[in-house]
Amino acid sequence: MAQPTEYYSKYPKKFRGTGIATPVLKVLKHMFKTTFHRPVTILYPYEKEWVPDNYRGRPGLRFDRCLGCGICVRACPTTCIELVEVADDDGKMVLRPQVNVGRCMMCGYCAEYCPVDAMTTTTDYELAEFNRYDLIYDPRRLHFEYTTDMMEVHIEEHLMSNLAKGITDQPTAFYNTDRPVLEDKKCIGCQKCAKVCPVNAIEMVVVGQNDKGKDIKRPKINEKTCISCSNCIIDCPKDALKMNEVL
Amino acid sequence: MSYNNVQDWIINREDWTPVEKLGETFGSIVDISPYAGYNLPYDVGVKVWESLGGLIAWLINLIVPGNPVSLALVSDWFTNALAIVVMVVVIFAIGFVTNLTMIWQERKFLGRQMDRRGTMIGPLGYLQCLGDGLKTFMKENVAPRAIDKKIYWWGVVLVIGTSVLLACMIPLSPRWYIVNYNTGLLLIFAFFALAPFLIMCAGWAQNNKYSLIGGLRAAELMISYEVPMLILFAATVYMTGSYNIGEIIQWQEDNIWLIVPQIIGFFVCVVCAIAESERVPFDLSEAEAELVEGWQTEYAGMKWGLIMLGDYFRGFVACALVCIMYLGGWSMPVIESFGWYYQYFPELFMVLKTCFVFIFFITARGALPRVRTDQIVNVGWKVLMPLAVINLVITILIKWVVDNGGVF
Amino acid sequence: MAQEKMNADKMWLTMGPQHPFSHGLWTLRVEVDGEIVTDAEPEVGYLHRGWEKECEQRDYQKIIPMADRLCYSASMTWSHLFCKVAEEALDIEVPERAQYLRVVADEICRIQSHLMWLAAVGTDAGNLTIFLWALREREFMLDLNVRLCGQRLTTNYPRIGGVRNDMPYYFERDCLRGIERFEKALWDIVKLTDESSIFVGRVKGIGHISREECANLGITGPAMRGCGVDYDIRRDDPYDAYGEMDFYVPVYKDGDAYARFRVRIEEMFQSCLIIKQAMKKLESIPKTAPYRLKVPKAIPEGTHMARIEDPRGEGVMYLISDGTDRPYRLKVRSPVFVNVSASKRMVQGVRIADIPTVMAMIDMCLGETDR
Repeated sequence: MAQPTEYYSKYPKKFRGTGIATPVLKVLKHMFKTTFHRPVTILYPYEKEWVPDNYRGRPGLRFDRCLGCGICVRACPTTCIELVEVADDDGKMVLRPQVNVGRCMMCGYCAEYCPVDAMTTTTDYELAEFNRYDLIYDPRRLHFEYTTDMMEVHIEEHLMSNLAKGITDQPTAFYNTDRPVLEDKKCIGCQKCAKVCPVNAIEMVVVGQNDKGKDIKRPKINEKTCISCSNCIIDCPKDALKMNEVL
Repeated sequence: MSYNNVQDWIINREDWTPVEKLGETFGSIVDISPYAGYNLPYDVGVKVWESLGGLIAWLINLIVPGNPVSLALVSDWFTNALAIVVMVVVIFAIGFVTNLTMIWQERKFLGRQMDRRGTMIGPLGYLQCLGDGLKTFMKENVAPRAIDKKIYWWGVVLVIGTSVLLACMIPLSPRWYIVNYNTGLLLIFAFFALAPFLIMCAGWAQNNKYSLIGGLRAAELMISYEVPMLILFAATVYMTGSYNIGEIIQWQEDNIWLIVPQIIGFFVCVVCAIAESERVPFDLSEAEAELVEGWQTEYAGMKWGLIMLGDYFRGFVACALVCIMYLGGWSMPVIESFGWYYQYFPELFMVLKTCFVFIFFITARGALPRVRTDQIVNVGWKVLMPLAVINLVITILIKWVVDNGGVF
Repeated sequence: MAQEKMNADKMWLTMGPQHPFSHGLWTLRVEVDGEIVTDAEPEVGYLHRGWEKECEQRDYQKIIPMADRLCYSASMTWSHLFCKVAEEALDIEVPERAQYLRVVADEICRIQSHLMWLAAVGTDAGNLTIFLWALREREFMLDLNVRLCGQRLTTNYPRIGGVRNDMPYYFERDCLRGIERFEKALWDIVKLTDESSIFVGRVKGIGHISREECANLGITGPAMRGCGVDYDIRRDDPYDAYGEMDFYVPVYKDGDAYARFRVRIEEMFQSCLIIKQAMKKLESIPKTAPYRLKVPKAIPEGTHMARIEDPRGEGVMYLISDGTDRPYRLKVRSPVFVNVSASKRMVQGVRIADIPTVMAMIDMCLGETDR
C-alpha cells in the first residue's frame, strides 16, 4: 500500500523549526552558489533556449510536396488557413495554403492531418511583426529553412477492428483508409468531383446510355491515389458522395 | 587670512597654480570656519569657492578696478556662506552615490539569492538605477481629484525631506559631518520617528481606502519597533556615556566594538532597523499583495520615484545607525594603527561597513515573507522588547563590574 | 420612514478585478471592521468567453485544443477530460500505452500547476524567492511538456482514442532525471516555507472550514482534502491507468490554510512517485504497441458525463450529442467556480493581510471559472 512521503510526517502539528534560521541560511547558501555558478536565467535576446524539433511553433510548408487538397483548411480550429493561388516553380497557378499566424493557435493539426507531410510544425516562435498584414504568411513565406524530418507529425492510428483481431503492428491514418462512396441514384454525372480532386483520383467512366442516347457518366475513385480530402464530397451538388469511415 | 582688496588677493599668490596655492590657505579656513575641527567637505567648499569666486572677482576687477562686488566675493562672510552650500552638495552627493550603490547591491544580491541575474544595464548593472530614475522623471505628474491637496503634497515632501535630511546627518568620519551635536544620535532617532506620522497623514489625504489602511499600519508598526529600539539606544549610551556619535565611536575605538558585549542587541537592532526603514519583512504599510501599494498607491510618477529613493535613504541611515552603535563606525581595529588610515580611508570604511550591514537587510528580504500586522506587534512586544531589556541588563552588569574594577 | 443609521464602523473594500492578489480577473468585495474582515462577496465573470457556446460550432477533434485554453496551468487535464467524455460516448477503451502516457502527462501537468500555485503563494505572502524558485522548477516541468507534447502550456496532447504521439527519444531518461531533480528542489522551497516560523505563522489557523461546511459548499480537490475529507477521484473512481498506480492521498484534518498548503506540497511528491511508476510500466510495454485508436468523427446520440481530478478539484464535463460531428451541448463543471463561492465563509474573521494567503490556497484560475 502506498505510503506518505517524508514530507507528510516531517512537519508535526506544532511548529518545531528553528525560527527564521533555516530559510536565511538556505538563501545565503544559494547566493554563494549562484555567485560562482551561473544563475539559471537565460539572457533571452542574446541567448536562446534549445527547443526540440517536435516543438510546435508556426506552421511550415514544403511547397513542392503540397497537393493543395485543403485538408489543413478544414482541420484548422481557428480557420486561419485559406487556399490561395500562387505560381509554382514552373509558373503554373496552383492552390497552396496561406496562414494567418496572428490567428493561429499552434495546435499543429494542419501538420498532423496533412496526408503528404507538406505541412510541418516548425521551431520558429519569434513571430512579432509591426502590423497585422505582416502576420499573414503566404505559401512561399511559410517555407521554413531548417525543416527536419522530426518536424513532420504523423498519425499512427490503429483500427479497432484490427485490434480486435489481434493485429497491433499496422498503424494507419484516415487518408489511407477512408474513401468516398457513391450513392448512384443521386449522381447526375456533372463531373464536378473529378475537377476538384487534387490528385486526379476520380475518373469519369461511361456506365451506359440514357434514353436520349447520351453517355451516363459516373465517377470511379482510384482507391490507391485517393487521399480522403473530401473535396469531392463538399462540392457535390446533390450530396451523392459520402465518406466511408473504416474503423 | 583675509584680503583687503582683490589686488592683494592676487598678489599674494606668487604662482598661478590655484590648487597648490589654496593648500597653503588652509590656515584661513580655521579662522572663518564655524567648525571647531577640520571638516573635509567644508574644506572642499572653501577651496572650490576660493578658486572659482576669486577668479570671478579678479575678472570683474579687470573690467571695473576697485569695485565693491569683487571685494565682497572674496570676503570671509561670502566665502563661508558659499562654502557651506558647496559642502552640503558634496555631502548629499556622496550620500546619493552610496544610496545608488546600495540599491544596486540589493538588486544584485537579491537576484543571486533568487537564482537570477539582477540588473544588467551598464557595468555590472550599475546604471539601472539611473535609468529607472530617468524613467520615473519622464512620467506625467498625476494626482487624483478628490484629495486633500495640502496634506497630500506636504506629506510626501516631508517624508522624502526627512529621509534626505537623515542621510545628510550621518557622519562618515571625524572630519565628515554637517552638525556635531552633543545629542546627535538622539536627534537622528527623533527624525526617524517622524516619518510614520507623515505617512499616516499622507495615507489619509489620498482619499483611498488602501492608502488609509496603509497609513494606519505605519502607526501600528511604529509603536511595536520604536520602543525596543530606544531601549537598545539607552544601552549603547549607558555603555559609552555620550549621545555624541563621534564620542560613541571614539569609545568603541578605545575599548571594544559594542557588538561583543551586546551581541543580542546587535541582532535585535538589525530587526528593528529593518522595521524602521519599512523594508520587506516589515513593509506592512505598503504591502503590495493586499494593499496595492499601501500608502503610496496614489503617488504616481516622480513622486513615487522619490519616495523609493527616500526609502533607500532611510535604509542607508538604519544601516549606518547599526554600524555606529555596534560595529565601531569608521574605526578599523588593525588598519587604523597605520598612520595613513585617518588621512585617507575612514569615510570609505564607514560606507563599506554600512553596505555590509545592508546584506542582513537584503537576506531578510530574500528569505522571509511579510509579517502580519498582529504578528509584528507580537514580535515587537513579546520578543524584541524582552531581548532589548535583557541586553540593557547585561550592559549595566558589565558596566558595573568594570567600574568597580571587577574581573578586568 | 425610519432613517437608517449609517454604519461608520465598517467599510466595503473592493479588491479586484485589477488587484495584485487576484490572480486573474475577479473581484472580492470585503467588508472590513478596521483590519478584520466581517463579510465578503466574490464576483466572477469578467473573463467569460462563451466557451461552451463556441464548442457547439466545432468538430469534436477541434474542441481538444480549445479545452486546453480552459485553464492556462492545467491544460492537460481539461483536454484529457474532454477526450474522456468523448470516449465514454463512443464506448471505447484507450490502448494501454496511451493510458500510461496520459497519466505521465497528467501528473507533469499537476506538478507544474501546483508549482504555479506555490509561486503565487510566495508573492501573496510577500516573498519573491519562493516565487522565483518555484517558477524555475516549473520551467523544467514545462521543458518536459515541450519534449512530450511540443508545447509548454497548451499541450494539445490527448486525442479521442489515445494520445497525439508516442514518447520521443530519450524522454524516459529526461523525465526521470527531471523528476529526481525536482524532488530535491522542492525540499529547498519547503525549507523556505515550512521551516520558516513567519510563513507558518502567516498561514496557520486562518481560513478555517469544517468538514460539514466543506460538503455543503461543494468544495473539491486539495481544499477539500485539507478539511479532512478523504476523497480523490484518481483513487476512488480510477480512470485510465490510475487504478494500477500505487499512491497515497494526503488528507489533513485541520481545515485551515496551512492544511491546504501541505496537501498540495505532498501531492507534488506523490505525483513524482506516480510518474516514476508509470515510467516503469511504460518500459514493459513494447514501443510498437498501439497508442491511438481511429475513431469515428460523429458521436452517437445521447448524454454522457465524465469527471477527472483536476489539480484544483473535480472537473466534470457533460456532453449532449445529437449524432452529428458537433456537440449539441457541452457543459463544464469547474472546480474553482464552486470553490471560490466558499471565499465568503473562508475570509470571515481573518485580517486583510490574510486574504491573499487564504485565497491563494484555493488556487484561482479564471479561464475555467468564467469559461
